[in-house]
Amino acid sequence: MEKLSKKAKVYLALVFFILYAPIFYLIFYSFNSGGTMSNFDGFTMEHYAAVFNDTRLLIILMNTVIIALLSSLISTAIGVLGAIGIVFLRNRKMRNAVLSLNNILIVSPDVIIGASFLILFTMIGVKLGFASVLISHIAFSIPIVVIMVLPKLQEMSSTLIDAAADLGATKRDILTRVIIPYIKPGIFAGFFLALTYSLDDFAVTFFVTGNGFSTLSVEIYSMARAGITLTINALSALIFVITLGLVVGYYFFNQRARNSIGTGGH
Amino acid sequence: MDTSIIRFENVSQIYDGAGPVLNDVSFELEKGKFYTLLGPSGCGKTTILRLIAGFITPTKGDVYIEGKKVNNIPANERQVNTVFQDYALFPHLNVFENVAFGLRIKKLKKAEVERRVKEALEFVNLKGYENREISEMSGGQRQRVAIARAIVNDPEVILLDEPLSALDLKLRTEMQYELRELQQRLGKTFIFVTHDQEEALAMSDEIFVMKAGEIQQSGTPMDIYDEPINRFVADFIGESNIVAGEMIEDYRVRFANKEFECVDQGLNPNEQVEIVIRPEDLEITSVSQGKMAVTVDTQLFRGVHFEISTIDEVGNEWLVHSTKKAEVGSLIGLDFDPEAIHVMRLNESEEAFDARLESYGAEADEK
Repeated sequence: MEKLSKKAKVYLALVFFILYAPIFYLIFYSFNSGGTMSNFDGFTMEHYAAVFNDTRLLIILMNTVIIALLSSLISTAIGVLGAIGIVFLRNRKMRNAVLSLNNILIVSPDVIIGASFLILFTMIGVKLGFASVLISHIAFSIPIVVIMVLPKLQEMSSTLIDAAADLGATKRDILTRVIIPYIKPGIFAGFFLALTYSLDDFAVTFFVTGNGFSTLSVEIYSMARAGITLTINALSALIFVITLGLVVGYYFFNQRARNSIGTGGH
Repeated sequence: MDTSIIRFENVSQIYDGAGPVLNDVSFELEKGKFYTLLGPSGCGKTTILRLIAGFITPTKGDVYIEGKKVNNIPANERQVNTVFQDYALFPHLNVFENVAFGLRIKKLKKAEVERRVKEALEFVNLKGYENREISEMSGGQRQRVAIARAIVNDPEVILLDEPLSALDLKLRTEMQYELRELQQRLGKTFIFVTHDQEEALAMSDEIFVMKAGEIQQSGTPMDIYDEPINRFVADFIGESNIVAGEMIEDYRVRFANKEFECVDQGLNPNEQVEIVIRPEDLEITSVSQGKMAVTVDTQLFRGVHFEISTIDEVGNEWLVHSTKKAEVGSLIGLDFDPEAIHVMRLNESEEAFDARLESYGAEADEK
């Protein structure tokens, strides 16, 4: 790769500084014993202790994680099957139409998705809460999974499927022994992306949640409206660190997968 | 009838909105032979292979495997295995698992799978490569894995779809020997698809030459090379000199403004025909001794021989393969035997052609 010039390096550093400064500012004051975000009195861990002592907050955290895991698992399953269906659609026009419908869902604003789900749920009488949040998270995650899995499927040579059938594989064998293993990297990528989308979703959840059920983003929003407490800072700092961990973990996971494809296992 | 393994009865294959890929094709293949479907791309040879494998069903006509109609039997229930042009090895499985794929589908016992995979890999000289990844294998090795994956299932018929086209020349020649030897050791029916006439001639028991969805001619490599049915076959198989001629009477043919003795008979007097003489059957000699006088136009050194392009007095081009050098621009004589002249009737059907050759009797057989 070409070496960056000094100017470019400075520019890059500046951009990243501006992007990350608010987060570090927030994390910095989560250790402030003064209780405000204006002047730093001294170091304390009491805000973190408050987070862990607040059972309500912990339950909300659990809810968020459960919703994220469940919705991304289910949407990955549906999305993978959907992507396979799209790729094997014979009719080209039909395939493009379905793909476009999928892509529109990705770019359409969360507010609209949230509002329309709210209308839907109240119309058909689904009680707002865990189920409504889960369903809507699954719904907005499916198109993401489809878009992540599709390139892998398109890259797969159709003779692989012929070869499997030739060797006696039934349709089911072909799916489980050839297609799924082949697109596994795409499936993982789709799953992780769906997971992060679900974890940090605010707009959709805000519309469809109710009856005391809440997720972290919605909770932080209402806490912030009620007045700033540094508990929010501590909580945000924790989420940031966990996210960082996930990203690093995903990076190493990918790296290992790539190595084993590149040079082979020993 | 017992020896027949595959039979096509008036099979046509038509895709939407296009002309027929296969046009009313009928043939029968015998057990344990090496067949080659030869033709330019788009002639329908791969379509025949896919029909036998069961990836597609015929638009018209019937396909029989071992006397059983298989039109509606899916690929996974047919006793045939295919070696694909791009090998179609599973990249997520190692060599052992690729070969074992078919056996695992059949849910064979672990020990049995192990024994048969080892045996198959030994057959293709890949012993000790079991744990390699596909990405670590060279083109020739992948080729062998693909063959092992097909033979391990012990199919009656093995289909090979241009399997050597991705290899370099030296490896290709080597694999030709190996494939032929493998077929003879296994005693299975091989159906090999290629556009390379050298491959076809070197390996096959029988060749089907195809053009535009129809079988032009079938026969042993020698038959097809020596007695091509028409201009297309003569041109496609090996180098040929093809000129227009006229049959004067039995055993007398006229071309290049001269009359020659030949071995063909049974044609109408003064019938318009095409004459084929292979370049290696033409011998350079002096003008006085030659049957024909030609002017040397160009000369290329091909290693084994010189390829000399000459022109006769009426403007026909004659390609000569000779170990002797000729001088460009000089007038030389060409000599050839009466047997070297092959007469082709225009638009002759394969049946009529075969019957005519048969009628030559012993004389033709000697060729």
